[in-house]
Amino acid sequence: MMNAADRIRLRHEFEELLYHEAWLLDNDKLEEWLELFTDTLRYWAPVRGNLEPGREDLSRPHLLAHFDDDKTSLTLRVKRLRTGAAHAEEPRSRIRHFVSNVQILETDGPARVKVGSNFQVFRSRWEGTEHLFVGCREDWWRRIDNTWRNEERFILLDHNVLENMTVFF
Amino acid sequence: MTDWAHLIDLEKCTVSPRVFVDEEVYRDEQERVFGRCWLYLVHESQLPNPGDFVTHYMGEESVLVCRTASGKIRVFLNSCRHRGTRMCRLDAGNAKAFTCPYHGWTYDNQGRLIGIPQFKEAYYEELNREDWGLIEVPRVESFRGLVFACFDENAQSLDAYLGDMKWYLDLIFNKTKGGMVALPGLHRWNLGGNWKLAAEQFNGDNYHTGAAHESMLKIGLGPANGQFLGDQPWVRDFEAKLDNGHGWINFKIDMAGGVPTPLAQHMERMQSTARQRMTRAQSELVGCVHVGNVFPNFSILTFLGFLTIRVWHPRGPHNMEVYSWGMIEQEAPPEVVEIARKMQILTFSPSGIFEQDDGEMWGNSVKALRGMHRRNFPLNYQMGAGHGRTDPDKPGLIHPPSTEIGIFGVYEQWQALMGGA
Repeated sequence: MMNAADRIRLRHEFEELLYHEAWLLDNDKLEEWLELFTDTLRYWAPVRGNLEPGREDLSRPHLLAHFDDDKTSLTLRVKRLRTGAAHAEEPRSRIRHFVSNVQILETDGPARVKVGSNFQVFRSRWEGTEHLFVGCREDWWRRIDNTWRNEERFILLDHNVLENMTVFF
Repeated sequence: MTDWAHLIDLEKCTVSPRVFVDEEVYRDEQERVFGRCWLYLVHESQLPNPGDFVTHYMGEESVLVCRTASGKIRVFLNSCRHRGTRMCRLDAGNAKAFTCPYHGWTYDNQGRLIGIPQFKEAYYEELNREDWGLIEVPRVESFRGLVFACFDENAQSLDAYLGDMKWYLDLIFNKTKGGMVALPGLHRWNLGGNWKLAAEQFNGDNYHTGAAHESMLKIGLGPANGQFLGDQPWVRDFEAKLDNGHGWINFKIDMAGGVPTPLAQHMERMQSTARQRMTRAQSELVGCVHVGNVFPNFSILTFLGFLTIRVWHPRGPHNMEVYSWGMIEQEAPPEVVEIARKMQILTFSPSGIFEQDDGEMWGNSVKALRGMHRRNFPLNYQMGAGHGRTDPDKPGLIHPPSTEIGIFGVYEQWQALMGGA
């Protein structure tokens, strides 16, 4: 059990880390962003829907998702953006990440922490195309060699009908 | 109604931009294309039990698709007869009855009006409930579990409408005993672009892959030889123009880096099962990349073990809403389902690294074509015209990729429906 001061310190540490991550994403430092994740990463955003209360079971086997990446496929997505031929991001969109509601949800010893956060991601594309993506994330971070690395990112998008999604969360 | 036949030039193989951007054309299209053609709704595996329902669209109409107690699938407009309110707001579920949230009229899943609040006090029991049941879509038929409906009660049967397309659909839906089953969940997203631009691409546009999907080749997630064409033109690598505006693309590619072993083993098993179930000409095509479109807006694509089936719902001339599902052979082991599911999400989904670029193109087309001057200059669909051949082994008019013979068939069919007063 952590005392209040440790808890505040830890939350503050992750707020800084998540702001830094947003800064990397907004400034097209995607290769550096990838370094935040472990090689065992699962980067997962299941689909939502309008179902009866209690029927939206995100653990249903084989449920479709908007992302279900490992480190290799997430890296492939970034590499593709670097080819100069990823037309949906040529020229690159203007993207801004807003992160809030940072919470320490769970700890598993001193080196493993589950952190929750909300996000809004604004994408301005080409002439008039503007999209807003809203949702929350639950991340498992692990301390490896004195650095926090993300080994599991669960993204819950609050959308039923989406748009062409070229952004990362 | 206006005669729009002149927008398609059958001799020159050209199409007027107005087909894609004009509001008046779009309005008539709702009635003359979406009001007359068979439209895809749902796969039977998504409604396994009596009482199961899904909500969906036919063109711009919201519909309620119900599996009734007798097992029959019936389709109703999802609109209360009293004030027209959209009744069911869920994507799917199981229910014996549907109650309108506005004034409480209640219908059973056979569309009968079974409950009216204050029936005695307010209506003096004078309303004839039988006259006010849900509006039913008159024709519902299925092929290999694919359920279609049609607003035109005099339409030809689904079987006749699909025609030779059935031979090609069987390469996917009839290659194993258990057939295909739907994965849970639905990819649903908005895209700029006229619905026909998506439909024609799946109908027969292999030509775009080199340019639109160039990024895939650059990162090595593409064919080993760098071309989405295959190497057996006419035989295994071809496009087929089919009657009623349907079309099919077929080719085999060896993926750079190969495919995961369990998936490769699964695909081999499927091919050997297929050999026992279909003609030699058919079974030799099983396991290829298949892409096709059932006119007007039902597309399929199978690639690297996954199958996406989707509907391009029209949302005005300049926008569409995509519904896309994942399917897999009923016999596929869970490990293979996961490989295929993840591959579909990575490649063909709202975040898909192929799909994103297609989504960019269709919106770009209508943006450029909307100009009052631009729309006077026709679009070119002449590629390969006159060079198609019939083949004793397979139905349709055949041509190796790339050709626009099949794509132009979409507009020939469109013209047949949109012409005349």
